[in-house]
Amino acid sequence: MAGVFVFSEDSAIGKQLLTPALELKKSLGQPLVALATREADAKEYATLGADRVIVLKSEASPEVLAPAIANLVAKEQASVVLIGGTLRGKHVASYIAAKLDAPMTTDAKTLTIADGKLETTRVLYAGLAVAEELSSLPAVATVPARTFLPPAAAATAGKIESVEVTPDTRAVVSNVTPIASEGVDITTASRLVSVGRGFRKKEDLKLADDLAAALKGEVSCSRGVAEDDHWLPIERYIGISGQTVKPEIYFAVGLSGQVQHMVGCRESKFIFAVNNDEHAPIFEAADYGIVGDLYEVLPLLTAALKN
Amino acid sequence: MPNLLVCYKWTLDERDIKINPNDLSLDSSRAKGKISDFDRMAIEEATQIVEKQGGAVDALSYGTPTVKQSLKDVLSRGPNKAYYIGDASAEHADANVIAKVLAGAVRKLGKYDVILLGEGSSDSFNQQTGARLAALLDLPVVTFVQEMTIEGDTVKATRKLADCTEAVTVKTPAVVQVLSTINKPRIPSMKQVLGASKKPNQELKIADLGLKAEDLVPKSTRKSVKGFVMSRKNVIYKESNAADNVAKLVASLAKEGLR
Amino acid sequence: MSYAFTEEQLLIKQNALEFAKEYLDPIAMELDHSAKFPAEIVKKMVAQDLLGLFLPGEYGGAEAGFVAFIEVIEALSGSSASVAAILLNHAIAAYAIEHWGTKEQKDNYLPALVKGEKLGALAIYENGPMLGVGPDTLVAEKKPEGYVLNGVKAFVRNAGVAGVYVVLATTDPTSNGKTLTAFLVDAKASGLKVGAAKESMGLRGCPMADLTFENVIVPESAVLGAVDGGLALATDTLAVFSLGEAAETVGIGQAAVEHAAAYSKTRVQFGKPISTLQAIQTLLAEVATDAHVARLALYDAAGLFEEGKPFQTEAAMVKAFLARFGSKMLLDTVQIEGGFGYSEFMPLPRLFRDIAGTTLLEAPAEYPDKTIAAALLA
Repeated sequence: MAGVFVFSEDSAIGKQLLTPALELKKSLGQPLVALATREADAKEYATLGADRVIVLKSEASPEVLAPAIANLVAKEQASVVLIGGTLRGKHVASYIAAKLDAPMTTDAKTLTIADGKLETTRVLYAGLAVAEELSSLPAVATVPARTFLPPAAAATAGKIESVEVTPDTRAVVSNVTPIASEGVDITTASRLVSVGRGFRKKEDLKLADDLAAALKGEVSCSRGVAEDDHWLPIERYIGISGQTVKPEIYFAVGLSGQVQHMVGCRESKFIFAVNNDEHAPIFEAADYGIVGDLYEVLPLLTAALKN
Repeated sequence: MPNLLVCYKWTLDERDIKINPNDLSLDSSRAKGKISDFDRMAIEEATQIVEKQGGAVDALSYGTPTVKQSLKDVLSRGPNKAYYIGDASAEHADANVIAKVLAGAVRKLGKYDVILLGEGSSDSFNQQTGARLAALLDLPVVTFVQEMTIEGDTVKATRKLADCTEAVTVKTPAVVQVLSTINKPRIPSMKQVLGASKKPNQELKIADLGLKAEDLVPKSTRKSVKGFVMSRKNVIYKESNAADNVAKLVASLAKEGLR
Repeated sequence: MSYAFTEEQLLIKQNALEFAKEYLDPIAMELDHSAKFPAEIVKKMVAQDLLGLFLPGEYGGAEAGFVAFIEVIEALSGSSASVAAILLNHAIAAYAIEHWGTKEQKDNYLPALVKGEKLGALAIYENGPMLGVGPDTLVAEKKPEGYVLNGVKAFVRNAGVAGVYVVLATTDPTSNGKTLTAFLVDAKASGLKVGAAKESMGLRGCPMADLTFENVIVPESAVLGAVDGGLALATDTLAVFSLGEAAETVGIGQAAVEHAAAYSKTRVQFGKPISTLQAIQTLLAEVATDAHVARLALYDAAGLFEEGKPFQTEAAMVKAFLARFGSKMLLDTVQIEGGFGYSEFMPLPRLFRDIAGTTLLEAPAEYPDKTIAAALLA
């Protein structure tokens, strides 16, 4: 068996995966091989620590390439296959795992080698618990975006090669319609002001906008504000079926802090809260908080921060 | 008149699981069994298709012998017949084993036009079984589906991904893994519940599924499971004067180096 | 003697709880405040086969058994006792027809009642005299065309939304309650007037009003059960009704204690959650115990009834127990929640008002203690 393989159709995630992959490469003493679908991405991977980069010569979507990728990593006798944890990635990874008769960890947060096995941690029971698991090699794992930062540039550049890959023609993909995005990606913001149903009118969200500006951050929200009230677009909502964020500051305003919401932000470095209900669960989850009326507190806070 | 198979999982209700504050271990002693929430959508989708177009829905589950408790539940939700494999191996089975067992059962049961699964199980949410099953059975698979139709031998599905929707067409037989947003499962009526006992169910023995002994050995084992407990500073300012609270909070921001 | 529920009964309860959570939780408070009849909710209950839950299949009923019905009432009551009361009043009226009716009466009314095309209601009380004591003001005069009804029936639940009423009238106003006869009166009967809606302390989403009868003519075939057999019919029907009421009480009490327990964990006084205080724990323990004990006794009695065995003494015991401890469940939980327990934006005030109704209304014609003592002293 040889090789720690890395793949993501999203090259930003692909680069992030190189970081844990480099650790695994060290522990196993095996080369790091990155799979890419674009030449430009391949060049980047090669400078960031990949020993080999294999360019898959196909315009087809990753799912359609899954059987071909599975064949490739099987032939290469990969020890570990790390795949970016997008939905596309999970499809590809699961397919590969089945073909390799291998175990697969979904959404691994940490990855190390212990006793010749891949040791991972991940969430269970909708966020209730965390499991440590050991998987015999070859093993597959998907890693969520932004779990790791990309590595620094490597001393030497890896070798780039390309292969022909046969897409699986059984699934015919048509009509790829992008979901209209507002442009703001709250998952990359380091500071978030998150609004809940404590706000009475859509216009009142301006108070949150002002606070976010003073903090140099963005505005996000709980599920109800996006899905029920439609005051903010869906990609701004945080929770078990929404986005997961890990900002430096998560400032929850008028937001009760239910588990299904908190699971999307509980890894934030600091959590602040403003709520007029001192029994709101958010206060159990906060580092610092104010019990008070957000309509009174927010203007004062914004003014104080601007000074 | 499609012939559909829905695979479902009998899980512990995670809402009944308590965290032991002393050592963060999990206490599942009071947890009742339930059909995994996400599987309900797959069962509902299959049922609705068959209600509109005719055909039949079978249900299949692999679990420990307690999986028998799920039979009336699943049969009250639309399927015509339930198959189950109740085997101790399910206790520690990983996603790889689960997929191999289900694949063995499917090979034994015969031809289905579409095999439906939920996005993931409510306990471990691996999101793997659909694509794994398809790989093992060498069938085309469409994942993360929010809308689907079956017309003759063609499945048309719309996938919802992070930044786009994608229309995919496959020919049957095929595997489809559905999102929880595909439908809103109906609550079974009283008559459906009472009618469940009149529907057939059949046990499949794991020894009859053409698997090797090593197929049932999990390659992924749990080293530990700990409850997640938020441990934050919980410094809450509750003065009667909002300005005082704000001043204290701003001081805290400075103290943490966040200003 | 087995208290284990069947798989079907467990599924029925699970489905009823999901129904309550999905459809009743969002509207319970508003329903209590507006007292506006929730027609859409009733339609949804029809779709779940709840309206004919324990009625025979030949009329379209689900034949799920009385125990399943009690489970449903208990589950719904935890979210909205008003909605449970609508269903309960309807179902017991349907039961009276099923149990005491002629084939013709059953064929005429049960299919529509099961489908929810008509709702049922009981019109058995009066403003003045107690049931069975008399003299009742609603008089049924025998005439060649049948019976002519004149007078007033009071405290009629589902008044105005029902399609058929089970009405108790006296054929002899001088007889002090011994000549009551039950009649099936169609809501559209000429001369039948539904009075103005009467506001009650609780169960406010379940309509209540007086029914005035002005020369309402009903044919002889409208007599339900035997002539002059009305009191026996009412006693039997109310004994069954009392089990449904007990289910409401237990459902409400259980919801209250769970709410108070959750609340006590977050309410911090003197630096600790009040759940750590002995006084609070005692209150929670008492309420939870009373609800648990009442529930066991309730399902025991319901099981006896379902099996066709004598159940009236056991039903009276449940009634007597809850008459003593039912309202206490809410007095204690409101106490735990303090100011919030007294605030209308929280659920407890509504539960408090609802449970006061479920424990005191629809007593059997004989007080429960009398019934129990009679069984012991026989």
